[in-house]
Amino acid sequence: MEKFFRRNFAGYAFLAPWLIGFFLLAIGPILASLYLSFTKYNIVRPPQWIGLDNYFYMFQFDDRFKKALQVTFSFVVISVPAKLIFALGVAMALDKGIRAIGWYRALFYLPSILGGSIAVAILWRQLFNYDGVVNSALRLVGLDGPYWLADPKYSLWTLIVLAVWQFGSPMLIFLAGLRAIPQELYEAAEIDAAGPLRKFFAITVPLLAPVIFFNLVLQMIEAFKSFSGAFIISGGSGAPLDSLLFFTVYLYDEAFSYLRMGYASALAWVLLLIIAAFTAIAFWTSKYWVHYENERG
Amino acid sequence: MSRLNRRTFMTRAGAAASSVAVLSALGPQAFGQDKQVRHFWWGNPERDKRTFAVIDLYNSKTPGTVVSGETLGFADYFTKLTTQIAGGNMPDVIQQGYGVLFEYIANGAVVPLDDYVGKSLDISRIDQSAIDAGTVDGKFYALSIGANSHMAIYNTRLFEEAGIVAGTDFDPYGYTYDDLARIGAQIKQATGVPGTDDNTADYQNFSDFIAQKGVKMFNPDGSYGATQEIVEEYWSIWQGIRDAGATPPGPESAGLAGVADLSQLGVVTGKSAMSYVWSNQLVGAQGLVQDALGAAMYPNTPEMIPGSIVQPSQFVCLTRDSVDPEAATAYMSAFVNDLDMTAILGLERGIPSNSDVRAALEPNLSAAEAVSVAFFDAIQGKTAPLDPPPPSGSNEVEQTFERVAVSVLLGEKSIPEVAADFLAQAKAILARA
Repeated sequence: MEKFFRRNFAGYAFLAPWLIGFFLLAIGPILASLYLSFTKYNIVRPPQWIGLDNYFYMFQFDDRFKKALQVTFSFVVISVPAKLIFALGVAMALDKGIRAIGWYRALFYLPSILGGSIAVAILWRQLFNYDGVVNSALRLVGLDGPYWLADPKYSLWTLIVLAVWQFGSPMLIFLAGLRAIPQELYEAAEIDAAGPLRKFFAITVPLLAPVIFFNLVLQMIEAFKSFSGAFIISGGSGAPLDSLLFFTVYLYDEAFSYLRMGYASALAWVLLLIIAAFTAIAFWTSKYWVHYENERG
Repeated sequence: MSRLNRRTFMTRAGAAASSVAVLSALGPQAFGQDKQVRHFWWGNPERDKRTFAVIDLYNSKTPGTVVSGETLGFADYFTKLTTQIAGGNMPDVIQQGYGVLFEYIANGAVVPLDDYVGKSLDISRIDQSAIDAGTVDGKFYALSIGANSHMAIYNTRLFEEAGIVAGTDFDPYGYTYDDLARIGAQIKQATGVPGTDDNTADYQNFSDFIAQKGVKMFNPDGSYGATQEIVEEYWSIWQGIRDAGATPPGPESAGLAGVADLSQLGVVTGKSAMSYVWSNQLVGAQGLVQDALGAAMYPNTPEMIPGSIVQPSQFVCLTRDSVDPEAATAYMSAFVNDLDMTAILGLERGIPSNSDVRAALEPNLSAAEAVSVAFFDAIQGKTAPLDPPPPSGSNEVEQTFERVAVSVLLGEKSIPEVAADFLAQAKAILARA
């Protein structure tokens, strides 16, 4: 035993920052939040065990919880496909062998780096304000733009546009996937007189399916967890009329505005289960539409 | 140090790396000789400037104590404080407001000051009413740093341009909602700027209105006092003012519901001629506007039952996590008593509770501060008595009001429908809290 430690001490010493981080900052809080989700806890007084009451309340009485689910699902269902289609389109355009492609890649990736930041959310607020850039542009062509952010009919769309604009990382992955498709297949198809649409659906989509699937799962999880844009643009409250009440924003509101840490922990676990369920469904359906090259079929 | 092979080198490097981590975790305070006092407040640029100047002055006057200041906007202040409570690292001295203070006392995050009174903390010149307001169950917890009331602030240039003279066409201390609709529309016609902000989603105005109807916001049993009729009447009155053209369009006001930032007030952005604030915010707002601001009470009904209250605007409190309570309370004492320090603070946090300080300030008031003092003289006898502390959950009721009122501003649902919805939610919140 002693020999083992002497021999491996250096290794563990160098691993220590990561190990400490993992147990202290990841596993520890996760287990703590599971425990807290069965308690009533307002930070200052010690947690008080209430069993499943938080969960019962959530599903029976909590209208804002239902509203938050509805907003989050709408966001995921619209923004994820839109973003993937957009990313694929740009990737295919860039795959045509344009000069200085490195520049374009960097340029298109930029929003993904910036997009999650607070600064861009604030910028978005300015763009879509009633007196903002978007409406000023519309006014130039004689249109009177709506109150994008104050009107619940439009507010979610501004966030969907923000999400789609951050298409950089799926685009890069698509680009790599497109490069991996053998050119001979397209050449053979051309000889058989296949048009561009036919080539897209008969060659590109099936061969890209594993990449599409990968992007879909990743983007879906990210969309469920999306927080900072909605938080900043709605002023932290999901306003107007809870139309931007993303699940995470509601969770934050419960935790930090009303100090219901136990209830917020329960919300977090429900979100985890929802994401797990959707990911499982995606994996299950993938059997029917994703085929890997090395599979025996 | 014998032969240094790769393995022993790695072992030592690893050990060295972890000891650095331990040292940095101890932090700089562990090596300091001076007494450290951390003071945390919510503010605005004007308040921050003055408070940091006061801290510098105190540090130069009191060798051996180092006060450091931390500040945030109101929206983020309590979030940060909450995480600090959880982490056990609250600053020594924190700022508290009248409503939320009682929750912190109940939670034990704010501790009593009685042990320091007469020693490091001098309250001999503080008004008894201010001491009473900071006392709970016979223990003194909170040192008032200024009296406050609801105040409507208006752009005097726009009022003048519309030919409205305070005192003749407009009584700042006794106008009705109907007067406001008329004046607001007149200003809009004359200047193009709507006469007033829209208070449909403003809970401060609504809380005044409840009192103006002769009702208490909370019944003695803790349930909500406002009725369906009162909520409907309030929103209908503002609907009337909006329809008269006296306010910015409904959707524009909807975008500002629940926003507490001074820079977003109509009088500051130039989108209206009158906004509604706490009186101590006048100085901060004036710092953001060129035109001189005037002060008025909130509008009232023709019955003129007082609705606004006068209450301590803010307190400084000692926290449970204070490392050196003696030094912290000595600083708090200077903050409210020292004439050089209070001269810098002026009336920015409200009318000081120390009579000597008030007397010393009088000759050197800025224009905005003079308006504040005149306002306080004028509202004497026109305000309502201070209610007992609100039950927990009141904060959530307020935010719910601001949220649902947006449907009224957008015209999405009828006023009776929204009012019923609001009262149902308020009832559920108070039952759950």
